[in-house]
Amino acid sequence: MSVMQANMRDPVGERSLATTLRNFVLTALVLIIIGQAAVFSGANLPELVTGAAGIADIVVRSMPPAFNKLPDLVWPTIETIDVAIFGTVVGVILSIPVAVLAARNVTPARPLYYITRGMVSFLRSVPELVWALIFVAAVGLGPFAGALALIFHSVGMLGRLFAEVIEDMDMGPVEALTLTGATRTQVFTHAVIPGVLPALLGMSLYRFDENLRSSVLLGFVGAGGIGFELLTSMNLFDYREVSVIVLVILVLVIGAERGSAFLRRRIF
Amino acid sequence: MSLTIAANAETNCRQAGSEPVLKVSGLGLRYPNGKQALTDAALEVNRGEFVVILGSNGSGKSSMLRCIVRLLEPTSGTITVARQDMIRLQGRSLRKARMSIGVVGQHANLVRRRSVVANVVCGALARHNSWRTALGMMPSSEMGPALECLEHVGLADLARQRAGTLSGGQAQRVAVARALAQRPQLMLADEPVASLDPEAANDVMKLLRRLAEEGLAVMCVLHQPDLARRYADRVIGLSGGRVTFETKASSISATDIDQLYGKQAA
Repeated sequence: MSVMQANMRDPVGERSLATTLRNFVLTALVLIIIGQAAVFSGANLPELVTGAAGIADIVVRSMPPAFNKLPDLVWPTIETIDVAIFGTVVGVILSIPVAVLAARNVTPARPLYYITRGMVSFLRSVPELVWALIFVAAVGLGPFAGALALIFHSVGMLGRLFAEVIEDMDMGPVEALTLTGATRTQVFTHAVIPGVLPALLGMSLYRFDENLRSSVLLGFVGAGGIGFELLTSMNLFDYREVSVIVLVILVLVIGAERGSAFLRRRIF
Repeated sequence: MSLTIAANAETNCRQAGSEPVLKVSGLGLRYPNGKQALTDAALEVNRGEFVVILGSNGSGKSSMLRCIVRLLEPTSGTITVARQDMIRLQGRSLRKARMSIGVVGQHANLVRRRSVVANVVCGALARHNSWRTALGMMPSSEMGPALECLEHVGLADLARQRAGTLSGGQAQRVAVARALAQRPQLMLADEPVASLDPEAANDVMKLLRRLAEEGLAVMCVLHQPDLARRYADRVIGLSGGRVTFETKASSISATDIDQLYGKQAA
């Protein structure tokens, strides 16, 4: 039946009873899902209104920010940045061989593909905070536990993303170099790497941006850095120090975001 | 550079005697899905000869080319390139044999972000230590020959330019230069002008013709009978995976073309 015929039979676009019923059931289902989510997450408007006074009190008590504490925050800030740098760099380095094994078009053996795909899925599905708790227990409190958490989670994320970049790359140069008699290593370094490098660098920079934010949070579970300072100040109800730490975090996160966006633009 | 190619071809000729550089006989290929792509195909290409393979889509032209370089495994027959039995080769010896075959595809397949000359140098990779070249340490002695190859295809002035900025015709000529950097004895071209405008197509065909005149054995898969007439020495027609005719390019007839493409093509 042509569209014109359909329009002639149903000139004003009247819906059948079955369609109307189906739409009604779907809408009711969506509303039920949203409603149960609100109930089980304990959403309570009166409590929010009552809490607003408490929030206003905290804001008042955090003013003016204790800028005299800034010198004490320099080292924890550097520690946070370093945890993000180390976690990202080691994560990227480890992700490259993992991605080669996990990319369907270049993996040397199919069983290795399934094993590495499973491994990166596992590393990715465990949140960074959980990894940090595990490593705090394993290597003790401090930034190294945070860096290890970032490395594990980064390999999970980047391993998969890098593998997908390799799977989507143009295989023409790979075939062309293979036909010159080049070895697999030479083909990898002269056709695969130059083909995927810009995308890999862009993703790595984006990952650094993410890791910097995560390294702040990891301080909450004992992995050092400015997050740990923030937790300590909150526990001591020193809200003026909390506000200056929040400002430092803001500058740090925005700076990293802008910096990585600038570098990504330069690469592409 | 023409002297270098002629000298290489001369040496190869002495080594190979008067035997053809490429000899294919009884070649058969059946795909895993059961389709018979090639049946008892046979051809020869001699030093200094430019042979064009004509045939419609699905006639087995590209399959034959891919069998010669062992990207596809033939189910029967023999392939000899410069006296090497290609079918028996594996691993390192197959890589070594591939060095003697320059391949130019329908697309140039250059690494777009690298310079033109870096792409050409890649043709010489197989002559050098795998790990040294993997770390980017290409012997400086390869730079001169790579520039000579570029000069040979008329693009020496674009050596430092990014490959991604080249036009289709220029990119295809760089692909020829990369193949020349291998110092091949046989040049295979698989529809090298398919994506080019008539002027660029003629440039590429003239270049292949010149390489044949300088001593290389050149085999080119084409769809254009007029280009075959103009540039080739010999034309081989392929239909349904079988060689249907073989004739001098100058004497190719309308009947031959009809046989391959139907009446409208002649």
